[in-house]
Amino acid sequence: MMSRYKSVFKDETKLDINYVPYKLPHRDRELRLLTEFFSFILQAPGKMAQRIVIAGDVGSGKTVLSQRFGMNATREAEKRGINLHYVHVNCREYRGSLFLILYHAVSVFHPSFPKRGYSAEELLQILLQILDEQDAYVILTLDEFESLIEREGTEAVYKLTRLQETRVNKPQRLSLICVMRNLKILEKLDASTRSTLQSNVIHLKKYSKRQLVDILSDRVSLAFKPLTVPEDTVSLIADIASSEGGNARFGIELLWRAGKYADADDLSVVTPECVRKAASSIYAVMRKSEAAYLSLHEKLFLLGIARFFKESERAYASLAEAEQAYAVVCEEFNVKPRSHTQLWKYLRTLSAVGFVKTEVSENIGSRGRSTLIYLPRISAHELEKELTALLEKDV
Amino acid sequence: MKLEDVLSSRLRIRIIKVLIQVGELNVSEIARRINANYKSTSMHLKILEDEGVLQHKTYGRIRLYRLNQSSPRARAVQNLVEIWEHANKGERQDYSGMSGVNF
Repeated sequence: MMSRYKSVFKDETKLDINYVPYKLPHRDRELRLLTEFFSFILQAPGKMAQRIVIAGDVGSGKTVLSQRFGMNATREAEKRGINLHYVHVNCREYRGSLFLILYHAVSVFHPSFPKRGYSAEELLQILLQILDEQDAYVILTLDEFESLIEREGTEAVYKLTRLQETRVNKPQRLSLICVMRNLKILEKLDASTRSTLQSNVIHLKKYSKRQLVDILSDRVSLAFKPLTVPEDTVSLIADIASSEGGNARFGIELLWRAGKYADADDLSVVTPECVRKAASSIYAVMRKSEAAYLSLHEKLFLLGIARFFKESERAYASLAEAEQAYAVVCEEFNVKPRSHTQLWKYLRTLSAVGFVKTEVSENIGSRGRSTLIYLPRISAHELEKELTALLEKDV
Repeated sequence: MKLEDVLSSRLRIRIIKVLIQVGELNVSEIARRINANYKSTSMHLKILEDEGVLQHKTYGRIRLYRLNQSSPRARAVQNLVEIWEHANKGERQDYSGMSGVNF
Protein backbone atom coordinates (compact mmCIF):
# COMPACT_ATOMS: atom_id res chain seq x y z
CA MET A 1 0.00 0.00 0.00
CA MET A 2 1.26 3.51 -0.86
CA SER A 3 2.02 5.76 2.09
CA ARG A 4 -0.04 8.94 2.34
CA TYR A 5 1.85 11.70 0.48
CA LYS A 6 2.94 14.50 2.76
CA SER A 7 4.52 17.69 1.54
CA VAL A 8 6.05 20.76 3.11
CA PHE A 9 4.64 22.82 0.23
CA LYS A 10 1.35 24.67 0.30
CA ASP A 11 1.71 26.07 -3.24
CA GLU A 12 5.07 25.53 -4.92
CA THR A 13 4.06 27.56 -8.01
CA LYS A 14 4.84 30.65 -5.89
CA LEU A 15 8.51 29.66 -6.25
CA ASP A 16 8.34 29.32 -10.02
CA ILE A 17 10.69 31.52 -12.02
CA ASN A 18 7.69 33.03 -13.86
CA TYR A 19 5.71 33.91 -10.74
CA VAL A 20 5.35 37.66 -10.24
CA PRO A 21 4.56 38.49 -6.60
CA TYR A 22 2.20 41.31 -5.77
CA LYS A 23 4.71 42.77 -3.31
CA LEU A 24 8.36 43.32 -4.25
CA PRO A 25 10.39 43.69 -1.05
CA HIS A 26 13.17 46.29 -1.33
CA ARG A 27 12.17 47.29 -4.85
CA ASP A 28 9.25 49.59 -4.03
CA ARG A 29 11.28 52.74 -4.68
CA GLU A 30 12.33 51.49 -8.12
CA LEU A 31 8.74 50.45 -8.91
CA ARG A 32 7.54 53.94 -8.00
CA LEU A 33 10.24 55.48 -10.18
CA LEU A 34 9.26 53.31 -13.14
CA THR A 35 5.61 54.25 -12.63
CA GLU A 36 6.62 57.94 -12.58
CA PHE A 37 8.59 57.58 -15.83
CA PHE A 38 5.48 56.15 -17.50
CA SER A 39 2.85 58.37 -15.85
CA PHE A 40 2.20 60.11 -19.21
CA ILE A 41 0.85 56.87 -20.66
CA LEU A 42 -2.20 57.13 -18.40
CA GLN A 43 -2.48 60.92 -18.45
CA ALA A 44 -1.73 61.75 -22.10
CA PRO A 45 -1.25 58.55 -24.11
CA GLY A 46 0.30 59.09 -27.53
CA LYS A 47 1.83 62.45 -26.64
CA MET A 48 5.20 60.90 -25.94
CA ALA A 49 7.03 57.57 -25.77
CA GLN A 50 9.50 56.47 -23.17
CA ARG A 51 12.77 54.56 -23.24
CA ILE A 52 14.00 53.22 -19.94
CA VAL A 53 16.99 51.09 -19.07
CA ILE A 54 16.87 48.77 -16.06
CA ALA A 55 20.34 47.52 -15.16
CA GLY A 56 21.50 45.16 -12.45
CA ASP A 57 23.24 41.88 -11.79
CA VAL A 58 21.67 38.44 -12.19
CA GLY A 59 18.91 37.91 -9.65
CA SER A 60 18.64 41.57 -8.68
CA GLY A 61 14.95 41.69 -9.59
CA LYS A 62 15.07 43.35 -13.05
CA THR A 63 12.62 41.02 -14.76
CA VAL A 64 10.16 40.80 -11.90
CA LEU A 65 10.25 44.59 -11.46
CA SER A 66 9.37 45.24 -15.09
CA GLN A 67 6.70 42.53 -15.10
CA ARG A 68 5.08 43.82 -11.89
CA PHE A 69 5.11 47.31 -13.39
CA GLY A 70 3.58 45.97 -16.64
CA MET A 71 0.75 44.25 -14.77
CA ASN A 72 0.01 47.34 -12.68
CA ALA A 73 0.16 49.67 -15.70
CA THR A 74 -2.14 47.59 -17.92
CA ARG A 75 -4.65 47.15 -15.07
CA GLU A 76 -4.69 50.91 -14.46
CA ALA A 77 -4.96 51.65 -18.20
CA GLU A 78 -7.88 49.25 -18.55
CA LYS A 79 -9.75 51.10 -15.80
CA ARG A 80 -9.30 54.32 -17.79
CA GLY A 81 -10.27 52.78 -21.14
CA ILE A 82 -6.75 53.02 -22.59
CA ASN A 83 -5.76 50.15 -24.88
CA LEU A 84 -2.32 49.48 -23.36
CA HIS A 85 -0.40 46.24 -23.82
CA TYR A 86 2.68 45.21 -21.91
CA VAL A 87 4.82 42.85 -24.00
CA HIS A 88 7.79 41.19 -22.30
CA VAL A 89 10.33 39.55 -24.62
CA ASN A 90 13.47 37.75 -23.57
CA CYS A 91 15.88 38.66 -26.39
CA ARG A 92 18.10 35.68 -25.63
CA GLU A 93 15.20 33.27 -26.15
CA TYR A 94 14.86 34.76 -29.63
CA ARG A 95 18.64 34.67 -30.12
CA GLY A 96 18.77 38.44 -30.24
CA SER A 97 16.94 38.56 -33.57
CA LEU A 98 15.05 41.83 -34.03
CA PHE A 99 12.75 40.11 -36.49
CA LEU A 100 11.70 37.38 -34.03
CA ILE A 101 11.31 39.89 -31.20
CA LEU A 102 9.03 42.10 -33.29
CA TYR A 103 7.19 39.05 -34.57
CA HIS A 104 6.39 38.14 -30.98
CA ALA A 105 4.94 41.64 -30.46
CA VAL A 106 2.87 41.46 -33.67
CA SER A 107 1.56 38.01 -32.77
CA VAL A 108 0.01 39.48 -29.60
CA PHE A 109 -2.43 41.26 -31.93
CA HIS A 110 -2.51 38.78 -34.84
CA PRO A 111 -1.64 35.27 -33.57
CA SER A 112 -1.69 33.76 -37.09
CA PHE A 113 0.47 36.43 -38.72
CA PRO A 114 2.75 34.79 -41.34
CA LYS A 115 6.36 34.23 -40.31
CA ARG A 116 7.97 34.80 -43.71
CA GLY A 117 8.00 37.24 -46.58
CA TYR A 118 9.16 40.51 -45.03
CA SER A 119 12.07 42.13 -43.21
CA ALA A 120 12.45 43.32 -39.62
CA GLU A 121 12.05 46.94 -40.81
CA GLU A 122 8.77 46.09 -42.54
CA LEU A 123 7.64 44.23 -39.44
CA LEU A 124 8.27 47.32 -37.32
CA GLN A 125 6.09 49.37 -39.69
CA ILE A 126 3.44 46.62 -39.58
CA LEU A 127 3.45 46.73 -35.78
CA LEU A 128 2.90 50.49 -35.84
CA GLN A 129 0.14 50.14 -38.43
CA ILE A 130 -1.62 47.59 -36.20
CA LEU A 131 -1.26 49.89 -33.17
CA ASP A 132 -2.68 52.82 -35.18
CA GLU A 133 -5.63 50.71 -36.38
CA GLN A 134 -6.45 49.49 -32.90
CA ASP A 135 -5.62 52.77 -31.18
CA ALA A 136 -3.30 50.74 -28.95
CA TYR A 137 -0.08 51.45 -27.05
CA VAL A 138 2.68 49.00 -26.27
CA ILE A 139 5.34 48.96 -23.60
CA LEU A 140 7.85 46.55 -25.07
CA THR A 141 10.31 45.15 -22.56
CA LEU A 142 13.49 43.81 -24.14
CA ASP A 143 14.88 41.55 -21.44
CA GLU A 144 18.50 40.42 -21.80
CA PHE A 145 18.94 43.36 -24.16
CA GLU A 146 22.62 42.42 -24.57
CA SER A 147 21.63 39.61 -26.96
CA LEU A 148 19.92 42.06 -29.32
CA ILE A 149 22.95 44.38 -29.37
CA GLU A 150 25.35 41.46 -29.89
CA ARG A 151 23.33 40.03 -32.76
CA GLU A 152 21.92 43.07 -34.54
CA GLY A 153 24.30 45.85 -33.56
CA THR A 154 23.61 49.54 -33.34
CA GLU A 155 21.38 49.89 -36.41
CA ALA A 156 18.49 47.82 -35.00
CA VAL A 157 18.53 49.61 -31.66
CA TYR A 158 18.65 52.97 -33.44
CA LYS A 159 15.56 52.04 -35.45
CA LEU A 160 13.69 51.03 -32.31
CA THR A 161 14.57 54.10 -30.32
CA ARG A 162 14.08 56.68 -33.07
CA LEU A 163 11.14 55.30 -34.98
CA GLN A 164 8.89 58.26 -34.17
CA GLU A 165 11.03 60.47 -36.39
CA THR A 166 9.41 58.85 -39.43
CA ARG A 167 5.92 59.38 -37.93
CA VAL A 168 5.62 63.13 -37.63
CA ASN A 169 2.33 64.29 -36.03
CA LYS A 170 1.21 60.73 -35.34
CA PRO A 171 0.61 59.36 -31.83
CA GLN A 172 3.65 57.81 -30.17
CA ARG A 173 2.62 54.26 -29.51
CA LEU A 174 5.72 52.21 -28.70
CA SER A 175 7.71 52.63 -25.49
CA LEU A 176 10.71 50.55 -24.53
CA ILE A 177 12.13 49.09 -21.35
CA CYS A 178 15.60 47.67 -21.96
CA VAL A 179 16.69 45.23 -19.28
CA MET A 180 20.36 44.40 -19.03
CA ARG A 181 23.06 43.33 -16.62
CA ASN A 182 25.73 45.83 -17.42
CA LEU A 183 25.61 49.22 -19.11
CA LYS A 184 29.03 48.60 -20.62
CA ILE A 185 27.46 46.85 -23.61
CA LEU A 186 25.88 50.19 -24.59
CA GLU A 187 29.36 51.32 -25.64
CA LYS A 188 28.84 49.20 -28.75
CA LEU A 189 26.05 51.56 -29.83
CA ASP A 190 26.56 54.82 -31.69
CA ALA A 191 26.67 58.00 -29.61
CA SER A 192 23.18 59.16 -30.50
CA THR A 193 21.45 55.85 -29.64
CA ARG A 194 23.50 55.59 -26.46
CA SER A 195 22.49 59.02 -25.28
CA THR A 196 18.81 58.28 -26.01
CA LEU A 197 18.96 55.17 -23.86
CA GLN A 198 21.16 56.45 -21.07
CA SER A 199 18.93 59.35 -20.12
CA ASN A 200 16.65 57.19 -17.95
CA VAL A 201 18.48 54.41 -16.16
CA ILE A 202 17.24 52.53 -13.11
CA HIS A 203 20.11 50.76 -11.37
CA LEU A 204 19.23 47.82 -9.18
CA LYS A 205 21.78 47.26 -6.45
CA LYS A 206 22.69 43.76 -5.32
CA TYR A 207 20.46 42.50 -2.53
CA SER A 208 22.12 42.35 0.88
CA LYS A 209 21.77 39.26 3.03
CA ARG A 210 19.15 40.99 5.19
CA GLN A 211 17.13 41.92 2.09
CA LEU A 212 17.40 38.35 0.79
CA VAL A 213 16.04 37.07 4.11
CA ASP A 214 13.00 39.36 3.67
CA ILE A 215 12.42 38.17 0.07
CA LEU A 216 12.79 34.50 1.00
CA SER A 217 10.56 34.88 4.06
CA ASP A 218 7.81 36.36 1.86
CA ARG A 219 8.06 33.41 -0.51
CA VAL A 220 8.14 30.92 2.39
CA SER A 221 4.81 32.25 3.67
CA LEU A 222 3.29 32.01 0.16
CA ALA A 223 4.67 28.62 -0.84
CA PHE A 224 5.16 26.54 2.33
CA LYS A 225 2.88 25.22 5.05
CA PRO A 226 3.23 27.03 8.40
CA LEU A 227 6.27 26.13 10.54
CA THR A 228 7.92 23.95 7.87
CA VAL A 229 10.84 26.30 7.10
CA PRO A 230 12.87 27.33 10.19
CA GLU A 231 14.64 30.71 10.36
CA ASP A 232 18.04 28.99 10.24
CA THR A 233 17.18 27.45 6.90
CA VAL A 234 16.13 30.79 5.44
CA SER A 235 19.27 32.39 6.81
CA LEU A 236 21.52 29.71 5.28
CA ILE A 237 19.84 30.12 1.88
CA ALA A 238 20.24 33.90 2.11
CA ASP A 239 23.94 33.42 2.91
CA ILE A 240 24.48 31.19 -0.11
CA ALA A 241 22.47 33.52 -2.41
CA SER A 242 24.40 36.47 -1.04
CA SER A 243 27.70 34.78 -1.90
CA GLU A 244 26.29 34.30 -5.43
CA GLY A 245 26.24 38.08 -5.88
CA GLY A 246 22.98 38.74 -4.02
CA ASN A 247 21.12 36.58 -6.51
CA ALA A 248 17.50 36.35 -5.27
CA ARG A 249 16.46 34.09 -8.14
CA PHE A 250 19.15 31.63 -7.13
CA GLY A 251 17.96 31.82 -3.51
CA ILE A 252 14.33 31.12 -4.49
CA GLU A 253 15.40 28.20 -6.68
CA LEU A 254 17.47 26.87 -3.79
CA LEU A 255 14.50 27.23 -1.43
CA TRP A 256 12.27 25.23 -3.80
CA ARG A 257 14.90 22.55 -4.30
CA ALA A 258 15.51 22.26 -0.55
CA GLY A 259 11.76 21.75 -0.10
CA LYS A 260 11.89 18.95 -2.67
CA TYR A 261 14.74 17.26 -0.77
CA ALA A 262 12.68 17.52 2.44
CA ASP A 263 9.69 15.90 0.69
CA ALA A 264 11.88 13.17 -0.82
CA ASP A 265 13.29 12.33 2.63
CA ASP A 266 9.78 12.42 4.12
CA LEU A 267 10.71 15.24 6.51
CA SER A 268 8.14 17.58 8.01
CA VAL A 269 10.65 20.46 8.12
CA VAL A 270 13.11 21.87 5.54
CA THR A 271 16.41 21.45 7.36
CA PRO A 272 19.75 23.16 6.60
CA GLU A 273 21.01 19.77 5.41
CA CYS A 274 18.26 19.85 2.70
CA VAL A 275 19.67 23.24 1.63
CA ARG A 276 23.21 21.87 1.44
CA LYS A 277 22.08 18.91 -0.68
CA ALA A 278 20.11 21.26 -2.93
CA ALA A 279 23.03 23.67 -3.33
CA SER A 280 25.36 20.97 -4.59
CA SER A 281 22.86 19.94 -7.26
CA ILE A 282 21.75 23.36 -8.47
CA TYR A 283 24.78 24.84 -10.20
CA ALA A 284 24.86 22.62 -13.29
CA VAL A 285 21.11 22.63 -13.96
CA MET A 286 20.66 26.38 -14.30
CA ARG A 287 22.37 26.76 -17.69
CA LYS A 288 21.76 23.32 -19.14
CA SER A 289 18.02 23.71 -19.66
CA GLU A 290 18.68 26.67 -21.95
CA ALA A 291 20.32 24.37 -24.51
CA ALA A 292 16.85 23.38 -25.72
CA TYR A 293 16.48 26.79 -27.42
CA LEU A 294 19.47 26.23 -29.72
CA SER A 295 19.09 25.24 -33.38
CA LEU A 296 20.17 21.78 -34.57
CA HIS A 297 23.60 22.87 -35.82
CA GLU A 298 24.24 25.11 -32.82
CA LYS A 299 23.61 22.06 -30.62
CA LEU A 300 25.91 19.91 -32.80
CA PHE A 301 28.64 22.55 -32.69
CA LEU A 302 28.31 22.94 -28.91
CA LEU A 303 28.40 19.16 -28.51
CA GLY A 304 31.65 19.09 -30.50
CA ILE A 305 33.11 21.75 -28.21
CA ALA A 306 31.91 19.91 -25.05
CA ARG A 307 33.48 16.67 -26.27
CA PHE A 308 36.72 18.41 -27.11
CA PHE A 309 37.03 19.67 -23.53
CA LYS A 310 35.90 16.37 -22.04
CA GLU A 311 38.49 14.41 -23.96
CA SER A 312 41.43 16.83 -24.01
CA GLU A 313 41.20 18.22 -20.46
CA ARG A 314 42.42 21.51 -21.90
CA ALA A 315 41.06 24.90 -20.91
CA TYR A 316 40.97 26.46 -24.39
CA ALA A 317 40.17 25.27 -27.92
CA SER A 318 40.98 27.02 -31.17
CA LEU A 319 38.16 27.53 -33.69
CA ALA A 320 39.87 24.98 -36.00
CA GLU A 321 39.83 22.38 -33.22
CA ALA A 322 36.19 23.10 -32.44
CA GLU A 323 35.37 22.86 -36.13
CA GLN A 324 37.07 19.47 -36.34
CA ALA A 325 35.15 18.18 -33.32
CA TYR A 326 31.92 19.48 -34.89
CA ALA A 327 32.67 17.62 -38.15
CA VAL A 328 33.03 14.36 -36.20
CA VAL A 329 29.71 14.97 -34.41
CA CYS A 330 27.99 15.72 -37.75
CA GLU A 331 29.28 12.42 -39.12
CA GLU A 332 27.98 10.60 -36.06
CA PHE A 333 24.51 12.14 -36.44
CA ASN A 334 24.62 11.74 -40.22
CA VAL A 335 24.16 15.46 -40.88
CA LYS A 336 26.02 17.53 -43.49
CA PRO A 337 28.34 20.00 -41.71
CA ARG A 338 27.80 23.72 -42.24
CA SER A 339 30.46 26.05 -43.65
CA HIS A 340 33.21 27.81 -41.71
CA THR A 341 31.42 31.16 -42.06
CA GLN A 342 28.23 29.68 -40.65
CA LEU A 343 30.17 28.27 -37.68
CA TRP A 344 31.40 31.78 -36.93
CA LYS A 345 27.78 32.87 -36.64
CA TYR A 346 26.96 29.92 -34.36
CA LEU A 347 29.93 30.80 -32.19
CA ARG A 348 28.63 34.34 -31.85
CA THR A 349 25.18 33.05 -30.82
CA LEU A 350 26.63 30.53 -28.34
CA SER A 351 28.76 33.29 -26.90
CA ALA A 352 25.80 35.70 -26.69
CA VAL A 353 23.73 33.03 -24.92
CA GLY A 354 26.61 32.39 -22.49
CA PHE A 355 27.40 28.74 -23.21
CA VAL A 356 30.89 29.53 -24.40
CA LYS A 357 33.21 32.49 -24.09
CA THR A 358 35.72 33.56 -26.69
CA GLU A 359 38.89 35.55 -26.52
CA VAL A 360 41.31 36.66 -29.17
CA SER A 361 44.93 35.62 -28.74
CA GLU A 362 48.03 36.92 -30.50
CA ASN A 363 49.81 34.09 -32.32
CA ILE A 364 53.35 33.92 -31.08
CA GLY A 365 55.89 33.48 -33.88
CA SER A 366 53.33 33.85 -36.67
CA ARG A 367 51.24 36.63 -38.09
CA GLY A 368 47.61 37.31 -37.25
CA ARG A 369 45.38 36.51 -34.29
CA SER A 370 43.23 33.52 -33.47
CA THR A 371 40.03 32.96 -31.53
CA LEU A 372 40.11 30.79 -28.43
CA ILE A 373 36.96 29.20 -27.04
CA TYR A 374 36.33 28.15 -23.45
CA LEU A 375 33.42 26.94 -21.29
CA PRO A 376 32.64 29.26 -18.38
CA ARG A 377 31.29 27.49 -15.27
CA ILE A 378 29.70 24.62 -17.21
CA SER A 379 30.85 21.04 -16.81
CA ALA A 380 31.72 19.53 -20.20
CA HIS A 381 30.42 16.13 -18.99
CA GLU A 382 27.02 17.56 -17.99
CA LEU A 383 26.77 19.61 -21.18
CA GLU A 384 27.57 16.60 -23.35
CA LYS A 385 24.95 14.49 -21.57
CA GLU A 386 22.30 17.18 -21.93
CA LEU A 387 23.02 17.89 -25.61
CA THR A 388 23.12 14.22 -26.55
CA ALA A 389 19.70 13.74 -24.98
CA LEU A 390 18.32 16.80 -26.81
CA LEU A 391 19.85 15.77 -30.16
CA GLU A 392 18.38 12.29 -29.95
CA LYS A 393 14.99 14.00 -29.97
CA ASP A 394 15.94 16.37 -32.84
CA VAL A 395 17.71 14.07 -35.32
CA MET B 1 -23.46 36.27 -57.84
CA LYS B 2 -26.20 33.79 -56.98
CA LEU B 3 -26.02 31.83 -53.73
CA GLU B 4 -25.74 28.51 -55.58
CA ASP B 5 -22.79 29.87 -57.56
CA VAL B 6 -20.96 31.19 -54.50
CA LEU B 7 -21.41 27.99 -52.51
CA SER B 8 -20.92 25.58 -55.40
CA SER B 9 -17.14 25.50 -54.95
CA ARG B 10 -15.46 23.04 -52.58
CA LEU B 11 -12.46 25.34 -52.24
CA ARG B 12 -14.60 28.32 -51.26
CA ILE B 13 -16.37 26.24 -48.61
CA ARG B 14 -12.99 25.03 -47.32
CA ILE B 15 -11.71 28.62 -47.17
CA ILE B 16 -14.73 29.64 -45.11
CA LYS B 17 -14.30 26.65 -42.77
CA VAL B 18 -10.59 27.37 -42.26
CA LEU B 19 -11.22 31.03 -41.47
CA ILE B 20 -14.03 30.19 -39.05
CA GLN B 21 -11.61 27.85 -37.30
CA VAL B 22 -8.51 30.06 -37.21
CA GLY B 23 -9.87 33.60 -37.37
CA GLU B 24 -7.55 35.17 -39.92
CA LEU B 25 -4.81 34.00 -42.28
CA ASN B 26 -2.67 35.19 -45.17
CA VAL B 27 -3.16 33.90 -48.71
CA SER B 28 -0.25 31.41 -48.77
CA GLU B 29 -1.31 29.84 -45.50
CA ILE B 30 -4.94 29.55 -46.64
CA ALA B 31 -3.71 27.92 -49.88
CA ARG B 32 -1.59 25.47 -47.89
CA ARG B 33 -4.44 24.55 -45.56
CA ILE B 34 -7.03 24.00 -48.27
CA ASN B 35 -4.50 22.20 -50.44
CA ALA B 36 -4.78 24.53 -53.45
CA ASN B 37 -2.36 26.73 -55.36
CA TYR B 38 -1.82 30.43 -54.65
CA LYS B 39 -3.45 31.72 -57.83
CA SER B 40 -6.62 29.71 -57.48
CA THR B 41 -6.86 30.55 -53.75
CA SER B 42 -6.51 34.27 -54.53
CA MET B 43 -9.30 34.01 -57.10
CA HIS B 44 -11.70 32.31 -54.66
CA LEU B 45 -10.80 34.80 -51.93
CA LYS B 46 -11.65 37.65 -54.29
CA ILE B 47 -15.04 36.12 -55.11
CA LEU B 48 -15.85 35.65 -51.43
CA GLU B 49 -14.74 39.19 -50.67
CA ASP B 50 -16.77 40.66 -53.55
CA GLU B 51 -19.83 38.87 -52.16
CA GLY B 52 -19.22 40.41 -48.73
CA VAL B 53 -18.39 37.13 -47.01
CA LEU B 54 -14.73 37.99 -46.36
CA GLN B 55 -12.67 41.10 -45.81
CA HIS B 56 -8.95 41.67 -45.82
CA LYS B 57 -6.36 43.98 -44.33
CA THR B 58 -3.03 44.72 -45.96
CA TYR B 59 0.20 44.95 -43.98
CA GLY B 60 3.04 45.73 -46.37
CA ARG B 61 3.02 42.76 -48.74
CA ILE B 62 0.86 40.63 -46.45
CA ARG B 63 -2.90 40.33 -46.91
CA LEU B 64 -4.77 38.88 -43.95
CA TYR B 65 -8.26 37.54 -44.68
CA ARG B 66 -11.05 37.02 -42.19
CA LEU B 67 -14.83 36.72 -42.17
CA ASN B 68 -16.54 40.07 -42.64
CA GLN B 69 -18.30 40.19 -39.29
CA SER B 70 -20.25 43.30 -40.23
CA SER B 71 -21.90 41.48 -43.13
CA PRO B 72 -25.16 39.54 -42.51
CA ARG B 73 -24.08 37.18 -45.32
CA ALA B 74 -20.88 36.26 -43.49
CA ARG B 75 -22.76 35.68 -40.25
CA ALA B 76 -25.34 33.52 -42.05
CA VAL B 77 -22.62 31.42 -43.72
CA GLN B 78 -20.80 31.04 -40.39
CA ASN B 79 -24.06 29.88 -38.74
CA LEU B 80 -24.66 27.39 -41.52
CA VAL B 81 -21.15 25.93 -41.27
CA GLU B 82 -21.22 25.74 -37.47
CA ILE B 83 -24.64 24.09 -37.34
CA TRP B 84 -23.64 21.69 -40.10
CA GLU B 85 -20.35 20.72 -38.45
CA HIS B 86 -21.99 20.42 -35.03
CA ALA B 87 -24.71 18.15 -36.46
CA ASN B 88 -22.08 16.00 -38.18
CA LYS B 89 -20.21 15.62 -34.91
CA GLY B 90 -23.48 14.64 -33.18
CA GLU B 91 -24.22 12.05 -35.87
CA ARG B 92 -20.76 10.57 -35.45
CA GLN B 93 -21.36 10.30 -31.72
CA ASP B 94 -24.80 8.71 -32.31
CA TYR B 95 -23.33 6.09 -34.60
CA SER B 96 -20.11 5.52 -32.71
CA GLY B 97 -21.60 2.65 -30.72
CA MET B 98 -22.69 0.78 -33.88
CA SER B 99 -20.39 -1.88 -35.29
CA GLY B 100 -19.19 -1.54 -38.87
CA VAL B 101 -19.57 2.24 -39.01
CA ASN B 102 -16.30 4.04 -39.68
CA PHE B 103 -15.78 7.78 -39.96
